[in-house]
Amino acid sequence: MTPRQETIHKWGLYALLTLFCCAWQGAVLQYVRLGGVFPFVYPILAAILSTLEGPLSGMIYSLVLGVVCDLTISAPIPCFYTLVFPLAGLLAGILARSVLSSGFLSALVTSMAAFVLTGAFHGLIFMFASRPAWGQAAIVCAKELAVSLPWALPVYFLFRRVWRRCLENEPTRL
Amino acid sequence: MKEFLKRHGLWVLFATAVIAVVLAVLSVFSTTSSPLVNLAQTITSPFRAAYTAAAGWLMDKQSYYEDTSALKAENQELKKRIAEMEAEVRQAQNDSEENERLRSLMNLREQRRDLSDLEAATITEHSTSNWTSYLTLNRGTDHGVEKNDCVITEAGYLVGVVSEVGSNWCTVLNIVDTDTSMGAQVFRTDDIGVAEGDFALMSRSRLRLDFLPAGAQLLNGDLVVTSGLGGYYPSGLVIGMVEEVQTDDSGATSYAILRPSAEFDDLTQVFIIKSFDIVD
Repeated sequence: MTPRQETIHKWGLYALLTLFCCAWQGAVLQYVRLGGVFPFVYPILAAILSTLEGPLSGMIYSLVLGVVCDLTISAPIPCFYTLVFPLAGLLAGILARSVLSSGFLSALVTSMAAFVLTGAFHGLIFMFASRPAWGQAAIVCAKELAVSLPWALPVYFLFRRVWRRCLENEPTRL
Repeated sequence: MKEFLKRHGLWVLFATAVIAVVLAVLSVFSTTSSPLVNLAQTITSPFRAAYTAAAGWLMDKQSYYEDTSALKAENQELKKRIAEMEAEVRQAQNDSEENERLRSLMNLREQRRDLSDLEAATITEHSTSNWTSYLTLNRGTDHGVEKNDCVITEAGYLVGVVSEVGSNWCTVLNIVDTDTSMGAQVFRTDDIGVAEGDFALMSRSRLRLDFLPAGAQLLNGDLVVTSGLGGYYPSGLVIGMVEEVQTDDSGATSYAILRPSAEFDDLTQVFIIKSFDIVD
């Protein structure tokens, strides 16, 4: 395989995994309510892929994911996820490359950061709408984080498998 | 044997005749059975009982096998019939529920002649985010649905307002969502206020009644309906009941916490008010 084909193959697999996670979210996770909230896997996807692929690729992936979310999920403002997810991806990529060593722990931390960022944006929007609810936003964010974070484990290992497999086929990049 | 019969045949014949005569005489004079018959029967009785028991056991086994086979077939048939009947019962329950909803809707139509055009819709999806409260319905612009149309239950309880419309779908922001705000009126006192979603209350499926006039005397359980002021939404749609009255942080104004009459989680079918007459 040429490097170009290799890249297409890898991102095709990432896209398939993302579709699978979206289907899982819509068909299963959405109905598993714990403490009034259900797991939300999209910030985890943005964070984990950015952890593996770095800030730039991660940010582009997160941007596409954000657009998909905005098209399918109702949000306080029309481009909410398109704004938040690239930032979460960028943050996750930078954290994974410069502060933390790449690995599951790094994926967990960046996923948490993505949730906190999403929650903070929600809080900001409530504040700008003259309905500040920082306390409640923090509670919902914490609950969402608690019920969603366990899903970081399977998501991380699925994406990491693709990442490693493609990396092994590119010995020069190892 | 031939020799024996030649030599003793007459004696045997004679003895047989004597025995026959004796048996005949005994049977004539006996009230129950003759002793010889009795003896023979008594001796053979256990053997016959054993034979009958063995035959009975075999018959039992045979009929058990036949019965089991028949029962298995019958069981299969009954299971099939039960499944069919259960399906019919489920269908009947659905029909009954739909019938009840339509009857309520007919009553509502009779009571509310201002709601001139209602469109029945099925809920295809509940909220897919923890930060908003909305429903997705299977009706859209193809069915004449427009943005800001009100959505009610068959009992006339307000569910929310259409926020986005596609060709065959629409999104309804529930009245507890933070982006929902509408004129409201306390039915008992005619006090006017604004019913709006509050994120701190949304997780409890509650909303606020704000901007109440000074001195408004609300009681727990007061019915709150849409005011219809401005002709933006129909008037008199039931929003919910006053659950508690609180004073805001400044202490100058009070607001009420409302419990919506519509049960969002239990809804399967709703009705979109496509047009209405403004009632003065």
